[in-house]
Amino acid sequence: MLEQLVDGILWDIALVVFFVGIAWRIVDVIRRPGRNDLAEPRSSGISAAIMANIHGFFPRREISPQIRIHVIAGYMFHLGLLMLLFFAAPHVKFIEEHITGFGWTVMPYWVFVLSAIISFAGLILLWIHRLLNPVSQLISKRGDHVASILVFVVMLTGCMALAESSTGLRLFHRFTVELLMIYFPFSALMHAIMFVPSRAYTGALFGRRGVKL
Amino acid sequence: MATEKNTKSGRMRKAFYFSILSLFIVVALPLIPYAIDAQAVGGNPDNVDKVVALPNPAINLWNNVRQRDGVIQGSSQVKSVDSGILINKTGEDWRRFRLEKLVPYGAYLMAGILGAIILFYLVRGKTLIPGGHSGKRIARFTLNQRTAHWFTAGVFWLLAITGLILLYGKFVLIPLLGAEGFSVTAAACKEMHNLFGPLFLLAVLAMLILYVKDNFFNLEDLKWFAKGGGMFGGHVSAGRFNAGEKTWFWLVMIFGIALGISGLILEFAIFGQGREVMALSHVFHGISALILISISFGHIYLGTVGVEGTLDSMTTGSVDAAWAKAHHDHWYEEMTGESVAIESGETSMQGGMAEGGVTSPGTGTAT
Repeated sequence: MLEQLVDGILWDIALVVFFVGIAWRIVDVIRRPGRNDLAEPRSSGISAAIMANIHGFFPRREISPQIRIHVIAGYMFHLGLLMLLFFAAPHVKFIEEHITGFGWTVMPYWVFVLSAIISFAGLILLWIHRLLNPVSQLISKRGDHVASILVFVVMLTGCMALAESSTGLRLFHRFTVELLMIYFPFSALMHAIMFVPSRAYTGALFGRRGVKL
Repeated sequence: MATEKNTKSGRMRKAFYFSILSLFIVVALPLIPYAIDAQAVGGNPDNVDKVVALPNPAINLWNNVRQRDGVIQGSSQVKSVDSGILINKTGEDWRRFRLEKLVPYGAYLMAGILGAIILFYLVRGKTLIPGGHSGKRIARFTLNQRTAHWFTAGVFWLLAITGLILLYGKFVLIPLLGAEGFSVTAAACKEMHNLFGPLFLLAVLAMLILYVKDNFFNLEDLKWFAKGGGMFGGHVSAGRFNAGEKTWFWLVMIFGIALGISGLILEFAIFGQGREVMALSHVFHGISALILISISFGHIYLGTVGVEGTLDSMTTGSVDAAWAKAHHDHWYEEMTGESVAIESGETSMQGGMAEGGVTSPGTGTAT
């Protein structure tokens, strides 16, 4: 019964909410009225948009000492999570069976363990930093904490189900993933998709005015 | 202001009750099956099966298999560590140690320390700041130091809870969840324990780097020990860290590193370590963990409900100047440049900094 619910209808609902929600957010951003910039552009908006996306991966030298933990922990968490999401053997098998119909090379077990350790360390450090840093405290909303907790719970349940020895643990992990998928489009987690157009928009806007980012 | 105070004190009270309840559950639950078991066996001797001695015709064969007179290395087609040993007697020694010593004495240690803390609190109550809050703040820990502390604490408790479930779950959780339920719980806990274990070692090393500077013992610490940290013989002076805090720091370092290294030996059994090394690592791992968990009860008590104003140092990074004068007078002098006069065993509350000022750690500069 529970298996049918989590593997069946709840998964279908989560998928629909996830993709429709993301599409709706993107359409909403595109449809927002922008100001017409009538001035003659001083340089190409497109190249500035690309450069802004690339520069965004590196902290600005002026503020890098202040955000060192953020940058290091951020990279640890995101890269570790990407590795786990797309190269962990159970995930690749799941994607092949349920989504794409084909799979790819999975990472060895020791790389999996290393990725999980790095990712967990990054996430916990970011979360603690968010709670302790006065500036982060001020700009953090309840949704940010919910997102942190939800991602941590998903990773933790995934870690609990690592041995693939119990259907209950697998279902528990999948249930938390479904909760995350439903929450994703309505939260700050959308930055996983929106960071590219967001950086591009800012870069293009400044680029047209001749401002170097 | 009053509402804020009430809300804060209400939250603190709730947090205290919840902490006590959680700790009680963690510590007391393991003792229940022993009581039930003792009652069942001791209370009704008729239930004990009568043993009838029969000569075993294969006794010599099995004596050799068990290798009671020492381990005999044989040969086997299988090439791996200990593959030439049919039955290793040290495995039984380890099993008996775990079951008969580690599990019960560990529970007594944790329950004893927790009981002593509760008793101390009931007799002594909360240690308040003499004269109350001054309203002036002194920076005590940097953001990096606090991040390292909470990271270590979080990983430590995740490992402690999963470790205690693995050690005591057989006795506590099987009656509650059944064998299958416990099997699932234990499998989940084992995976979490193995995955977070290496993080703890890294966290301890980070703590060592960030905190070691002010944690070396000096002669003044002898006075602190002699006066029982101020419990006997009035006020006792201290620098940035008192002797009790330094002792806790070095216990975390020694047992934390022992825990980490023995854990790595247990987790990565790919470097040719045999049964004896694994069993010994398990013994070190278990003893170190139980000692750290037990003493951490005291650390948590003193840092939260035991001493007023202490928790601020790890949440906001600063402490009230009056707290610093009362508990770390030499550090206060170092930070502010003011001398602290001790009157009748109590710290005087004269002098101080500008209202609302915060001094930076290490510099003594008011900001």
